[in-house]
Amino acid sequence: MDYLAQTAVLLAGLFPKLVAGFLVTLGIAAAAVPLALLFGLLLLAPRMDRRAFICAPTIGFIELMRNTPLLVQIYLIYFGLPLLGFYPSEFACGVAGIALQHGAFLVETYRGAIETISQRQWDAARAIGMGRFKAFRHVILPQAILKILGPLGNQVIVLTKDTSLVSAIGVMELTMTGKMAIERSAVSVEIFVTVALFYLVLTTALGGAARLIEHRAAGRH
Amino acid sequence: MSSRREFISQASGVMAGAGLVLAQAQPATAQQATQAAGRSKLDEVRARGKIIVGVTSEAPPFGFVDDKGELVGFDIDVAKLIAKATFGDETKIELFKQGFATRWPNAQNGTIDFGIMVTTVYADRALQVAFTRPYIDSGIVVVVKKDSPIRMIADLNKPEYTVAHLTAPVQEERGKRLYPNAKFLTFDAISSQFNAVKLGRATAAQLDAPVALYYIKDNPDIRILDEWLTDVTGNAVFLRPDDFKWWLFLDTVVAEMLGGSLWSAYKTAYKKWFGIEPRHARAVQTTNKG
Repeated sequence: MDYLAQTAVLLAGLFPKLVAGFLVTLGIAAAAVPLALLFGLLLLAPRMDRRAFICAPTIGFIELMRNTPLLVQIYLIYFGLPLLGFYPSEFACGVAGIALQHGAFLVETYRGAIETISQRQWDAARAIGMGRFKAFRHVILPQAILKILGPLGNQVIVLTKDTSLVSAIGVMELTMTGKMAIERSAVSVEIFVTVALFYLVLTTALGGAARLIEHRAAGRH
Repeated sequence: MSSRREFISQASGVMAGAGLVLAQAQPATAQQATQAAGRSKLDEVRARGKIIVGVTSEAPPFGFVDDKGELVGFDIDVAKLIAKATFGDETKIELFKQGFATRWPNAQNGTIDFGIMVTTVYADRALQVAFTRPYIDSGIVVVVKKDSPIRMIADLNKPEYTVAHLTAPVQEERGKRLYPNAKFLTFDAISSQFNAVKLGRATAAQLDAPVALYYIKDNPDIRILDEWLTDVTGNAVFLRPDDFKWWLFLDTVVAEMLGGSLWSAYKTAYKKWFGIEPRHARAVQTTNKG
């Protein structure tokens, strides 16, 4: 009982700090998710372009972003940009790193979903007189969005967990707050479990929201 | 308090796994046998023909794994010097990697003959283990860029300056006390702190003095402020508290390294890791500052 009481006191004292860290984590995710979605969309057209001189460099860039560790990218952005004379804040560097990598994953998610729509759908749309854009807008896109929603929810959850990596460049988010508290109190397991619970609450909520949106969208048809 | 400790030690024991338990079991049993016979570690070590030394592999330049995968460092070199002083052969040594928290029980229960792993001498620690005299000076220093306008610690106390700290809370507390107006940046790795200064992310960083020397060896664009953040402290060899014969031998060896018959070997090792010559304990005693 002694142990439980002591742990409860310690964690209660820590709670405001962890909440502050949690808000920073939320902020990073809230900034990185729309940026990643947008970045993915911007790269979609060049990625699906049939001309090699457009498509090949895009693929190269996407593979580079997907196949190197996010932590290394964050370090490169944070410690590399000063070499070029730029000093963006650690928050901005972290958000940019996360958005770039997850955006690269999202391009492939978008593309995969669009390519699963049968060629016949295109043909049929064109046959009834739709132009290329109109066919995409009214026939392909509504079907593709349904297929994107599932993987998109996954990606957002992975992204949220990846925000912990920006602790490496000194952003006082949830994980970093936990690390500081551990250094101060030498209590490790209990604090890490608490930090994990914070993430769990957030990702569970995101997962639930994603499923809800998916159901609603599916029910429309 | 005790129930919590028990919980933690049980939990960490389970996680540590069987490998570690096995690795530690053997020397411990051997030690218990000698303890029962009332012999000194010195006799035990000489009979065994090698020394078992507790070291770290996580603190460059004191103990770390190099590009070739070998455990090297200044502490490792000093341990080898002690092996050489004992057996005339620096290879008569077994390096026992241990965590910082387990160094005390391992020294007390005889799992290791002595430990040498960036261990600062503090009076309360000396209640738990015996220390030889320090084999190297330490303390916390401030590093800045060579062309930085910062001359003293007080110069940092302006909002336009940023200081890189390690997650260790003592660094932040020092910062709040000595330069409260500066901005703080906190990293979880010493190398990130150093890089922050090198790449202009931070004006200054708090580092252990020997670590700062080690980094500066390859980074001439960085300098150490003359004014230190702490008093000079000492890193020392630690061992069981109740073995006078063994302590006397080790302390004698350390004394000989610092300014006696083992000086040149010690100096070579020091220069290799820190790029500068150590102070001779006898010849230049009067220049001792701090």
